[in-house]
Amino acid sequence: MTALIQVKGLTKSFGTVQAVTGIDFTIEEGHCVALLGPNGAGKTTTIRMITGLLKQTSGQMIFHGAEADGNQRQLIGYLPQSPAFYNWMTGLEYVIYAGRLCGMTAVDAKKKAKELMERVGLSHAAKRKIGGYSGGMKQRLGLAQALVHSPKLLVMDEPVSALDPLGRREVLGLLRELKQETTVLFSTHVLHDAEELCDDVIIIRDGGIALQGAISSIREEHRKPIIELQLEEDDQSQRWLSSYIAQMQAAMQRNAESSLIMEAVLNDNIARFTVKEIEAARQSLLEDLTRERVKVRRLEVGYTSLEDLFMKVVTA
Amino acid sequence: MSVSAAHNGNVEKRSFNRTSEIGRFAAMVEKELLELLRSFKLLWVPLVFILLGIMQPVSSYFMPIILEQAGNLPEGVIANMPKPQGAEVLAQTLQQFGTLGVLVLALVCMGVVSGERNSGAASLILVKPISLYSYIGSKWTAMLVLTWGSLAAGYLAAWYYTGLLIGSVPFKDIVSSLLIYGLWLTLLVTLTVFFSTMLKSPAGAAFSSIGCIAVFSLLAGIFPKQLGWSPGALSGFAYQAVSASIMKGDYFGWAIVSALAIIAGALAAAVWLLRRSSSVE
Ligand SMILES: Nc1ncnc2c1ncn2[C@@H]1O[C@H](COP(=O)(O)OP(=O)(O)OP(=O)(O)O)[C@@H](O)[C@H]1O
Ligand SMILES: [Mg+2]
Repeated sequence: MTALIQVKGLTKSFGTVQAVTGIDFTIEEGHCVALLGPNGAGKTTTIRMITGLLKQTSGQMIFHGAEADGNQRQLIGYLPQSPAFYNWMTGLEYVIYAGRLCGMTAVDAKKKAKELMERVGLSHAAKRKIGGYSGGMKQRLGLAQALVHSPKLLVMDEPVSALDPLGRREVLGLLRELKQETTVLFSTHVLHDAEELCDDVIIIRDGGIALQGAISSIREEHRKPIIELQLEEDDQSQRWLSSYIAQMQAAMQRNAESSLIMEAVLNDNIARFTVKEIEAARQSLLEDLTRERVKVRRLEVGYTSLEDLFMKVVTA
Repeated sequence: MSVSAAHNGNVEKRSFNRTSEIGRFAAMVEKELLELLRSFKLLWVPLVFILLGIMQPVSSYFMPIILEQAGNLPEGVIANMPKPQGAEVLAQTLQQFGTLGVLVLALVCMGVVSGERNSGAASLILVKPISLYSYIGSKWTAMLVLTWGSLAAGYLAAWYYTGLLIGSVPFKDIVSSLLIYGLWLTLLVTLTVFFSTMLKSPAGAAFSSIGCIAVFSLLAGIFPKQLGWSPGALSGFAYQAVSASIMKGDYFGWAIVSALAIIAGALAAAVWLLRRSSSVE
């Protein structure tokens, strides 16, 4: 496995605003990587530096072992967050033009452009002016023009955020095919998209990396058993629940090591206990519940999801 | 498609027949011209110049008749009014190009770079493996095609009607004055491209470039001795070229050199500004 791109200590500040603060990551050839983060985390800034559209304040980007010098543009296909085209051109003309700018001959570019318009589902509108395209059509046109020179790395900034559920599913399906053919880096603020498509995820927050790695190993490493408990809404049960949680929290503070429960939170009348050992914790909880005759509505045993982890990482 | 094969430096060379930087430049010039065509600028700008060109000889020809019709001039004035020479009419035509023509050209190319950057279309183009010299150069080339085409069309129309109505002027005088005046307008268009790269506002770019041109002319007019070598003297040389032979021989050469230097400098500065702001290298 070889690294397509290595990023080291990449930093960007706009005046006094530190948009990206020294991030490091590596993208392996053939992988699909999601850059995940909430609004304002620095996703767009990072992506623009990788594409060469923005000069980093400091740090390095190494493509195929060579420092980026502008020639990386040949390797990259880029779809911006909200792509803007020449509205007076037709969709097909634009893709042909993009191909010629990448050094393809007019004949090659035309052939490839037709193929791509078909593939992104725009062949019916290929001869129409881009000015009359809808948002979803523009997104797909953006994808076609990014792919025209068969880039080694496809970089997309929030490719599905602006689409309706249907368009979203179509584009995600397209990306699923594309990731078989090329390395993909895309940003999103929706964990679900990353989970569905990607091998690796880089979670950024406030311009720094909060967590990164293969999704499967992150899921394994951070998977913790949890018990969710919901009671009937009568006073007695609720009173018992709050005192139980207080008791658990006190026990945790006294002795974090031996306590069965690592974390207890009450949210919307649902108590969530993150536990160390599922069997013992379940047993003890069930015993308490029967002894006190608590009216249980729902008791569920499971594991923390990536969503929980993501929320924790980005709000911490 | 054999892209997934190896991943050394020349993999991209293998997958397609690649054109050189010249090919990409040609594609970009083609796009600019197509844009001028689709927005009808390639049509109406030459028409404006042709109209200006025809107007001068026609109005000179009919002036005495118009005055006669007005009829409140004393006897003999009309008969004694000196008939304008053909060369004089053509010099006046160039002056028309220098006011209305300059305005039209500045308006047409004021948004040539800033328009694309403001809309975001430029970032999709600049992320492609092209050089910034090609990017600026292609826009400049297309604008020059428009400028020289319009000027030549308008000036030749003026020459034709002057020959028809007033008196013939030798073609070689037309050519030399056309070349000199073309350089003057090239300077204007180059400055507009430069300001369009520097400023976000198209109106600001038009205003600045017209301002520069006016200052150049004014300075050369006020200090003909000290600044006769400056580009501002070019339009004056063009009037002289059509009406007489050029007198200030050595100054003339310097005026051309200084204009070319400013043109080259403005283009280089535009590329530098674009590189600094978008940091594509
Ligand atoms: N040109 C700029 N000038 C000043 N600050 C900027 C500029 N561009 C971005 N920033 C700041 O950098 C931070 C990161 O912005 P960025 O656009 O990279 O976020 P993002 O992760 O793409 O967010 P979103 O999900 O909203 O697109 C923000 O705080 C933003 O205000
Ligand atoms: Mg963004």
